[in-house]
Amino acid sequence: MKHKKNSTAKLNVLEVTHLTKNYREQKAVDDLSFAVSEGEILGLLGPNGSGKSTTINCILALLKYQQGEIRIFGEPMTPASYDLKRKIGVIFQEVAVFDELSVYDNIDFFCGLYITDAAERKAKVEKALQLVGLTKYRKYLPKQLSGGLLRRLNIACGIAHEPELIFLDEPTVAVDPQSRRRILDNIKKLRDQGATIVYTSHYMEEVEELCDRIIILDHGKIIASGTTAELKQLVKDRSVKQVVGPTLNDVFLELTGRELRD
Amino acid sequence: MFWQNFKYNLKLILRDRSLIFWTLAFPLIMALLFNLAFSNIENSEKFEPMAIAVVENAEWQKQEIFQKAFAALSAEGEEQLFHTEYLSETGAATALENEEITAYLEFQNGQPKITARENGINTTILKTVVERIGEQSQVVQEILRKNPAQLGELVRQEAPNLKDASRPHLSYTMVEYYTLIAMTCLYAGMISMTAVNRFLANMSLSGRRVAVSPTPKRWLILSGLSASYLVQVFGLALLFTFTIFGLKVDYGENFALVLLLSLVGCLAGTAFGVFVASSIRVSENAKTGLMIALSMFGCFLAGMMGITMKYVVDTNLPLLNQLNPANLITDGLYALYYYDVCERYWSNIITLVIITLVIICISIWNLRKEQYDNL
Ligand SMILES: Nc1ncnc2c1ncn2[C@@H]1O[C@H](COP(=O)(O)OP(=O)(O)O)[C@@H](O)[C@H]1O
Ligand SMILES: [Mg+2]
Repeated sequence: MKHKKNSTAKLNVLEVTHLTKNYREQKAVDDLSFAVSEGEILGLLGPNGSGKSTTINCILALLKYQQGEIRIFGEPMTPASYDLKRKIGVIFQEVAVFDELSVYDNIDFFCGLYITDAAERKAKVEKALQLVGLTKYRKYLPKQLSGGLLRRLNIACGIAHEPELIFLDEPTVAVDPQSRRRILDNIKKLRDQGATIVYTSHYMEEVEELCDRIIILDHGKIIASGTTAELKQLVKDRSVKQVVGPTLNDVFLELTGRELRD
Repeated sequence: MFWQNFKYNLKLILRDRSLIFWTLAFPLIMALLFNLAFSNIENSEKFEPMAIAVVENAEWQKQEIFQKAFAALSAEGEEQLFHTEYLSETGAATALENEEITAYLEFQNGQPKITARENGINTTILKTVVERIGEQSQVVQEILRKNPAQLGELVRQEAPNLKDASRPHLSYTMVEYYTLIAMTCLYAGMISMTAVNRFLANMSLSGRRVAVSPTPKRWLILSGLSASYLVQVFGLALLFTFTIFGLKVDYGENFALVLLLSLVGCLAGTAFGVFVASSIRVSENAKTGLMIALSMFGCFLAGMMGITMKYVVDTNLPLLNQLNPANLITDGLYALYYYDVCERYWSNIITLVIITLVIICISIWNLRKEQYDNL
């Protein structure tokens, strides 16, 4: 109630403070702190190996980390935080579906981990099928789907239960332009329905189009953050560019290099 | 929720063609092959009493227990085990040389000594009999005092492979079918391994989805295991149906106990799969390969490729076979078929249950982990 009156203070849905994660000697995430407020799309932008997936897996309490605190909806996130997990949807970087199950069954199975009521689940699965445009492929097996459709199935499996907080880890990698368009539109639709979204990518223009706020990661560290406009300003401003230095430049080089090959 | 997951687990298992081949079809193919390969041998296989000699000297005169025991075991009848000649030491040696006897027994300084032409099954049986009589001499003496007529029976009970061999129609094929049942039981592990792998975040991508969901993985693992067990029990049912009605195999009078041991064996196999899934972090294909290799090796030691192997292991490395689930299943079924007393059957079942419980405990310990150093 208090929050509603005070419209400027939005609730932080996700708070990451001083997160540090090493794989043996290698530092993958280095003292990372950021927050995501309700209804926002946060973009985690960074080249391959910059620690995006590791950050997400730490937030989800899948990975052990050396240091830091994760709070979701104000509560600490642990492997046993089942009430929090109920409100979260995750689309992992790799397609994680069962080859033996049809499109419908895959979504139904993963949705069933969240929604036990059969009628409610049926409605949600249908809705998810419609959202990603797989309704007429419901009986297909994953191996009969093209790469783009498979990615869309992967997304449907992660969001069918209509989560309030959604993590998407590079959902558009190796996807044809039509499917990419559809996926980006889907994400906007999810945001319009009220979800808070953390979106990782190494495509500059995707993040620019989608995200309210962007964090640029490299070597597990934040090298820049802000709105699209702020970041553009940062790049334009030569003196600042020298301070932030070649790293930010590297990020863009990396990105453009990728784009040419696509 | 359990049923929803159970239903999907069943679907996942039944649609995995290679899994279904190995667990349901392969045992049937093996049964057919055994049937073709052994049907000829079977007809000619009848146990002949084994020709042996005993060196009849002053030492032998002192061995009252052995004298009576060998007299009982050489008595003519359906279950006669030995054809014993009593000779001098040189006589026995000559008889062995001329291949009139397989082996001879001699006492030196109160210790039995067996001289044999070769180390075959027959020699093993003779050795076992002599050992058992020696070990049980106090019991034997006790019986001699009270009721000497019981001695033959005791020796037979105490020397298991002796009695197997002394059956008038020793069936090698039966042992092959028993190892096949054991193999089918252990193959349950392949299904359960695959099922559990699906729900472990550090083993599979689907496992990561489970890990971030509000459903604790133990419920998924439980439903996966129930489905695995059900499918492999169906596999056993197929094998029994095929061997009984198709190949006319007779599992003896205690079929209910045969089924009981098979069901327990299947549980052991299922547990074995969970163990492999939860303790070793390699690809699923590598795990499947490992499961097949281990199961087959266990069955080999239990006598799948010839019963001699079982005798050799039972005699030289008894512990190996006492801990080998394939052998526990085979041996239990074997005991059931050949003995009137089922003590050995029950002790095999109990060992199997204990091994299963231990494996399950280790697996639960391995599975308790929920947050990983890397994925
Ligand atoms: N399982 C792992 N074991 C060891 N190092 C890893 C593992 N996963 C990722 N890394 C390393 O951690 C760093 C960050 O990786 P990742 O989080 O996957 O980056 P991104 O998702 O941004 O591409 C990389 O240098 C990568 O090599
Ligand atoms: Mg990544």
